[in-house]
Amino acid sequence: MSVQTTNLEPKGIQGLGKAIKRKEDPRFIVGKGNYLDDINLPGMLHMALVHSPYAHAKILSIDTSEALKVPGVKAVITAKDLAAAGLSWIPTLAGDKQMVLADGKVLYQYQEVAAVFAETRQAAADGAAAVQVEYEPLPVVVDPYKATSPEAPVLREDIKGQMTGAHGPRRHDNHIWTWNVGSKDETEKALAASEVRIKQHMLYPRSHPAPLEPCGCIGDMNKATGRLTVYMTTQAPHAIRTVLSLVTKIPENNIRVISPDIGGGFGNKVPVYPGYVCAIVGSIVLGAPVKWVETRTENLTTTGFARDFHMDIEIGATKDGKVTAMKVYTLADHGAFDAAADPSKYPAGLFSICTGSYDFQKAYAEVDAVYTNKAPGGVAYRCSFRVTEASYLIERSMDVLAHELKMDPAELRLKNFIRPEQFPYPSALGWTYDSGDYEKTLKVALERIGYYELRKEQAEKRAKGELMGIGISTFTEIVGAGPSKDFDILGIKMFDGAEIRVHPSGSAIVRAGTRHQGQGHETTWAQIVSEELGLDVDKIIVEEGDTDTAPYGLGTYASRSTPTAGGAMALAARRIREKAKKIAAHLLEVGESDVEWVDKKFVVKGVPSKSVTMNEVAFAAYTNLPPGLEPGLETTYYYDPPNLTFPHGAYVCVVDIDKGTGEVKVRRFVAIDDCGTIINPMIVEGQVHGGLTEGFAMAFMQEIAFDEQGNHLSSNFTDYLLPTALETPKWETGHTVTPSPHHPIGAKGVGESPTVGSPAAFVNAVVDALAHLGVRHIDMPITREKVWKVLRQAGIDSF
Amino acid sequence: MKLEYSGQEKVQADPQKVWSFIQDPHKVASCLPDLKSVDIKDEKNMVATVGVAVGPVRGTFKFNIELDPKPEENKMMVRIRGGGLGSAVDLTASADINGQEDQTTLLDWNGVASVSGPAATVGGRVLDAQAKRLIETVFANMGKKMAEV
Repeated sequence: MSVQTTNLEPKGIQGLGKAIKRKEDPRFIVGKGNYLDDINLPGMLHMALVHSPYAHAKILSIDTSEALKVPGVKAVITAKDLAAAGLSWIPTLAGDKQMVLADGKVLYQYQEVAAVFAETRQAAADGAAAVQVEYEPLPVVVDPYKATSPEAPVLREDIKGQMTGAHGPRRHDNHIWTWNVGSKDETEKALAASEVRIKQHMLYPRSHPAPLEPCGCIGDMNKATGRLTVYMTTQAPHAIRTVLSLVTKIPENNIRVISPDIGGGFGNKVPVYPGYVCAIVGSIVLGAPVKWVETRTENLTTTGFARDFHMDIEIGATKDGKVTAMKVYTLADHGAFDAAADPSKYPAGLFSICTGSYDFQKAYAEVDAVYTNKAPGGVAYRCSFRVTEASYLIERSMDVLAHELKMDPAELRLKNFIRPEQFPYPSALGWTYDSGDYEKTLKVALERIGYYELRKEQAEKRAKGELMGIGISTFTEIVGAGPSKDFDILGIKMFDGAEIRVHPSGSAIVRAGTRHQGQGHETTWAQIVSEELGLDVDKIIVEEGDTDTAPYGLGTYASRSTPTAGGAMALAARRIREKAKKIAAHLLEVGESDVEWVDKKFVVKGVPSKSVTMNEVAFAAYTNLPPGLEPGLETTYYYDPPNLTFPHGAYVCVVDIDKGTGEVKVRRFVAIDDCGTIINPMIVEGQVHGGLTEGFAMAFMQEIAFDEQGNHLSSNFTDYLLPTALETPKWETGHTVTPSPHHPIGAKGVGESPTVGSPAAFVNAVVDALAHLGVRHIDMPITREKVWKVLRQAGIDSF
Repeated sequence: MKLEYSGQEKVQADPQKVWSFIQDPHKVASCLPDLKSVDIKDEKNMVATVGVAVGPVRGTFKFNIELDPKPEENKMMVRIRGGGLGSAVDLTASADINGQEDQTTLLDWNGVASVSGPAATVGGRVLDAQAKRLIETVFANMGKKMAEV
């Protein structure tokens, strides 16, 4: 078995494509990271929340008297107190509103009911346990298919009878919106005319990003200055500052949001949570800093979940395997409030990428969102806004079609790929794919894994009664939201900013509106600047996460940092280079038009021996300027990308299944990614490893489940499993490079490709192993128990 | 999480003794395992604080207990509602009280409980075993105390 590892590069001027070690790692390795819980302010109080045991219940009374007697407890607040400040409900990113603390009723188990402030975390927890709440249980809606039945109880009584929501008409009190794209009539006609049609229902189960560091914040209101400082585990500090200003009416200049080191976000740390609001209100009321750090259970039960898409697909094709049309209907379970974190115009995110890598002439997709008695969310868990669901849907369905056509799934894909000459490719659902070479990437993957030999081995094993499967996923992503003409969150356009200051000695500080949580921006941004300006990568410091200093930007999620802030970084550097060229001409005593940028130096055209470095130019920018030129060497650039980027990849998975126990063993997994220009191959490889591991977890281990009363059955790490090194397969990675034609450095983003692309490869492999037994689909998570049952149903009851 | 149990218990006391026992909230409360305190409101209602341990969920729960004897039907109804540590319990139980020829009493009982919160979610996998043990302990205590009367 060959496992590709990246060779580390020596230091120096290190531009694109160099596998230099991550600049941020030394402080993490020696335990000197500065996470939210490491911050302790003088006089700081601690907050704990009271949660509802019921999934749906009326609140009859809340008695805080016993809690206030607990030594150390300073105050307890409920919705009534928040109402006085106009903060009992807050707007969600999806155009809905949500309770901060339960207002009259609870709508999901573990919903926040009261907040207790105390001198220590322990006292706050004791105080929370002493708050007495009297409930009257109400009927519960757990199954989204029953949410809009006539007998379903109305969950959101606050909007009862309002039959128009933020995204159009509502047809039931528990219905949120319907969203559709494509031509329904033309698609149905094309399907009716197709020689072969497949239909498949599949669930992308509710999952949770479960970052190792849970969410938390410290609200610190300085009553003397009127300035609110908020330390918060947020992936989007600037957006949070704007939202806080809108919600609290505190002027934005009087709010500073600091996002310290973050121990994983994966979309979970994008929304505004009730705990944040309560900690800030507590600080304003009590005049002391208030810290709130979630417990693991609070993180899993109340903060943003992901997926929960119940999907039905129909695909038409010719007998020889050319796809003609696809129609998709999805029921989206949004929980008690529509708090999905999607761009404003896209309530179902970028789900319309569901035509995938294939040349569908006709397509139609429709999504209905409903309320249920579950926590709100619908965050983009290592996913560019529902791309994971879309990719799983099409990649699983292509295998179902191959099965129906009795065609090899690789051959079916090769027959239907969008061809390189079709780019920029307008998809049937309205996107313009920037670039790609799907055939090349798949062929690299097939070659690497030895696909055709594996098929022979599989046939031999089947003859002996052994179960082996091969699964393919050739996904296309859509990332980098996004162009301001289409993309905004609460009206704020989704551009991103970068600032570069080159110091006289040739070192620099660069800042971005993004906020990394493990992605390695402190290294990759430095590499982009190093490439563009010829500065030593070790002399470039990258700073993110402080709204007082960083330029505005919408943050890090949905694989958007490199497509947006990465572009801003390159263009800011080029703007600096333009000014530097004037200074270089002055130093070289030639006209500006006689100077060119060659091999990271300014050179006099035709006289290669006459040159100056950026270091020399930087010094001159402060010491020896041409007359009339503004001193200094710094700039800020806000980059509004002209299009999204469309990374793609080809993943092939081989599994062996134990007939006796149902255990699935991933024998090999080859992941060939094409994320355009690679900035740092080691970081890309790391991102791919992490994403594949999370995809593996979704495919085999994880589900946020509920019982019929709405009890949360996945509230801790013994019920919601995270893969460790013990379970995780060995990953074999590689890449092809198809640069984005519109991105300043041709990069497309990679953080999420493996999470998006891999689940279908795992499931396809398992189903492929069982296909000859009549198995066509198994929903995730594919546990041993599920496989064991499938085998028994298929009449296999021996070892 | 819904739990349903039923069974039969033979008590070494005649039905009259059983009736007088189970209509006395003090005596009923004394059968609860790990009772911390009890506040008798009236002859049918009391608030009991008991120690509870369901897996990692450990602490005290406060229960409102309503005794609803129906002598005309030879039936005793009990409703327990309450909880603690963020968990809630709602239990309705009934027992048919049948005198036996040997001066003993057969309790033909059943109960339905609904458990919510961490006791169900975190303690879910041990809840059934804990509930069964709780029921066994209550009946054992009752049997012992009634026989003493």
